[in-house]
Amino acid sequence: MAKAFKYGLKGITGYLEPAERDLLRGLLDDVISMLEQDVRENEDPLAALIGLDMDVKQPSDRALLRLLPNVMKDDDGGSLEFRQLTERSVRENKIGALKAAAMGLDKDDLVLTPESATRWSMALNDVRLVLAERLDIRDEADAEHIHSMQDWSQAEDVESYLALVYNFTTWLQESLVQAMMAARQAKS
Amino acid sequence: MSPSVAYGTDIDERTKAAEQSATDVLSAPDIPWNLVIWNDPVNLMSYVSFVFQSYFGYSESKAHKLMMEVHKKGRSIVAHGSKEQVEQHAVAMHGFGLWATVEKAANGNETPGKGGRQRG
Repeated sequence: MAKAFKYGLKGITGYLEPAERDLLRGLLDDVISMLEQDVRENEDPLAALIGLDMDVKQPSDRALLRLLPNVMKDDDGGSLEFRQLTERSVRENKIGALKAAAMGLDKDDLVLTPESATRWSMALNDVRLVLAERLDIRDEADAEHIHSMQDWSQAEDVESYLALVYNFTTWLQESLVQAMMAARQAKS
Repeated sequence: MSPSVAYGTDIDERTKAAEQSATDVLSAPDIPWNLVIWNDPVNLMSYVSFVFQSYFGYSESKAHKLMMEVHKKGRSIVAHGSKEQVEQHAVAMHGFGLWATVEKAANGNETPGKGGRQRG
């Protein structure tokens, strides 16, 4: 079984079983492929270089839209303009964090600095946001319902399996954030 | 906002702006844009509070208060500044996976932590 992250002399440490690492790596890879865009033909290379994307659209996939939300509530035009300027770099940052987390899973023991822990928590959070969309978690009641499924013998279909995976990532994230808080307090 | 304007500031200035907004966020109520964080059932309360502390440099109690406001009222204004500043914060918040939007401040009476008016 995985051990909760904790803060100690070596920094922020955690431990995951090989099967748990495979599971997490798969989830991280899924989110990476969601965020990676096909290289477009005829794209203006200068625009690409400085991070502009004039062809960007609001994502039609709900999970992707949750990762890359509109920046204005009631202004689609303003939100789109913002996407053109920023979405590419937000995607790239997310992919960077997800890849770093996936690579860190090559060893049983996870040893993180406060900085790498923050990136790890961002990656894990994105995984949770995507799983939550797939599980149709819309409000606190949905979240409660999913959270109540803790017994792996209940995993009889895709949804209940996903729910258990989601709860595992929630537990892992909570322990990581607690360790990050402890590291912050120790520093100050 | 046009691309040339958005990318016109050089890196030093942008860093300065980020530092400034981290400390001056609360002392400039007359600047007309707000950064709003919306509630969602997924982000952990501890994580949201951690982001407010580590990114904005808010104290633990202030971060907790703002997080609880997001949780209970559905949204909270967590910073304000120029449009460019709050947009920069929004990019950072989206990086953390928080649901952030920017909006014009209604009349300057709203301050972070005092609750926001629901729009639309």
